[in-house]
Amino acid sequence: MTDDLARLDLVRLVRAAQGGSRQAFGELYAQHRRSVHGILLSRVPRAEVEDLVQDVFMTAMQRLGTLREPEAFGGWLAAIARNRATDHLRRMPQTVELTEAVGGTVDPDRTEALAVLAVVRTLPDAYRETLVLRLVEGMTGPEIAVRTGLTAASVRVNLHRGMKLLRERLS
Amino acid sequence: MNDDYLWNRSGPPDAEIVRLERTLASLRQESLPPLILRAPMSAWSEWIGVALLAASLAIMVGGVTLAYRFHPQAPGWEITSLERQRDLRIGGWLETNSREKATINVANVGTVSVEPLTRLRLIDTRTGNHRLELARGTVHARIWAPPGQFFVETPSSTAVDLGCAYTLTIDDEGSGLVSVALGWVGFEWHGRESFIPAGSMCATRPGVGPGTPYNEHVSPAFRAAIETIDFRSGSPDQVAALDLVLAEAQERDEVTLWHLLTRVDGGQRDRVFDRLTRFVPPPAGVTREGVRAGRRDMLDRWWDALGLGTASWWRTWKQPWRGSSR
Repeated sequence: MTDDLARLDLVRLVRAAQGGSRQAFGELYAQHRRSVHGILLSRVPRAEVEDLVQDVFMTAMQRLGTLREPEAFGGWLAAIARNRATDHLRRMPQTVELTEAVGGTVDPDRTEALAVLAVVRTLPDAYRETLVLRLVEGMTGPEIAVRTGLTAASVRVNLHRGMKLLRERLS
Repeated sequence: MNDDYLWNRSGPPDAEIVRLERTLASLRQESLPPLILRAPMSAWSEWIGVALLAASLAIMVGGVTLAYRFHPQAPGWEITSLERQRDLRIGGWLETNSREKATINVANVGTVSVEPLTRLRLIDTRTGNHRLELARGTVHARIWAPPGQFFVETPSSTAVDLGCAYTLTIDDEGSGLVSVALGWVGFEWHGRESFIPAGSMCATRPGVGPGTPYNEHVSPAFRAAIETIDFRSGSPDQVAALDLVLAEAQERDEVTLWHLLTRVDGGQRDRVFDRLTRFVPPPAGVTREGVRAGRRDMLDRWWDALGLGTASWWRTWKQPWRGSSR
């Protein structure tokens, strides 16, 4: 889909959802679920992410009527997700995230993935969010820009610098 | 360093990035919505005119809708937050003990949180029809699907999701209570229907079906009076109960009053008519005689005048589940 058509489709869906269409909101959910998941995963313990994804979309549904620019939906939703993660971290007690080896069998691939994620999470916010969206969620740079409301240039810089830092820390 | 592959996978693959992608992909969210493929547009979008652009958009919109409606669903649901049981298959039961809670991913359309001491069964899950049986206990449903696609059958009513967030509790005798946080829930049993908007609650009883919805902020006496009207048919307390409801009713109770129009007898119905008229006058063409006679068209028009959504959506959406309740 061209950028113009993607924008038109987004505007159509947001307006329909604002008008009460559950199907339109369902489509927005399907389109943006990965990005919300990635934003949360870059900030909060993995076990909390699924529930928080639902909370973010619940909040979005409740507040959708206040969104004046339908084209800004991606950035608006991403901001809700970041705020939700911040609130969650502020309220939760200091905890250590358990690996799946506790109480279960060890999956070496999964263990390595969690170890890499832990390193990604040591990066500055902007870098870790963009890298999680790219490397975990499998989104491209242009997709990340659309879904998060960041400019393509910012995403590209974040990817470049974040990857450079990640390589250094992994080595 | 050439960042093209990192940017949009267009350049030669960077071996380390490919390895990281493969490693980290295992952390991706499971049960993702299906990828909806669309015809590539870039090659011909340069010369198509506005009309063709509009037409292609319409086709894509239809494609999205069709894909949403007809993509194959998994035959079961994933259970998270419960170590000993990871999924719920059609016909399978989930029973939590006094210390357990569980979260169920309802296909791609929402989640159900399960409280301790709850017993439920997956009856069916396919596109447009996801159906649970709640034998006892408490569930919190958050549903993203279009209205009328998620159902919870209980011993005394079937709850159909017309909104997105509600809590449903059923006790060991099959009596229950639904409390709606967002959107709407429809409750139905053998043709007896209740429409429960956000901020309202509604009881249900075996052999009777759904009661009359009431605002969550009504007094205990108001709630008890509604229970008498709904579930103690023939009781001498019925008139006093209606007296109390009519005396305490405020504008927020218009949904309650509207339901009572068909749930009290003859002369009492006129009293409800008068009370509801104080808050929401009957629209043109809606007469006392018609309401007294239970004219569905008039009741629907008055409902529409409450400003809570038109009655037609219910009439349309409830069709797929008519006849499915016990």
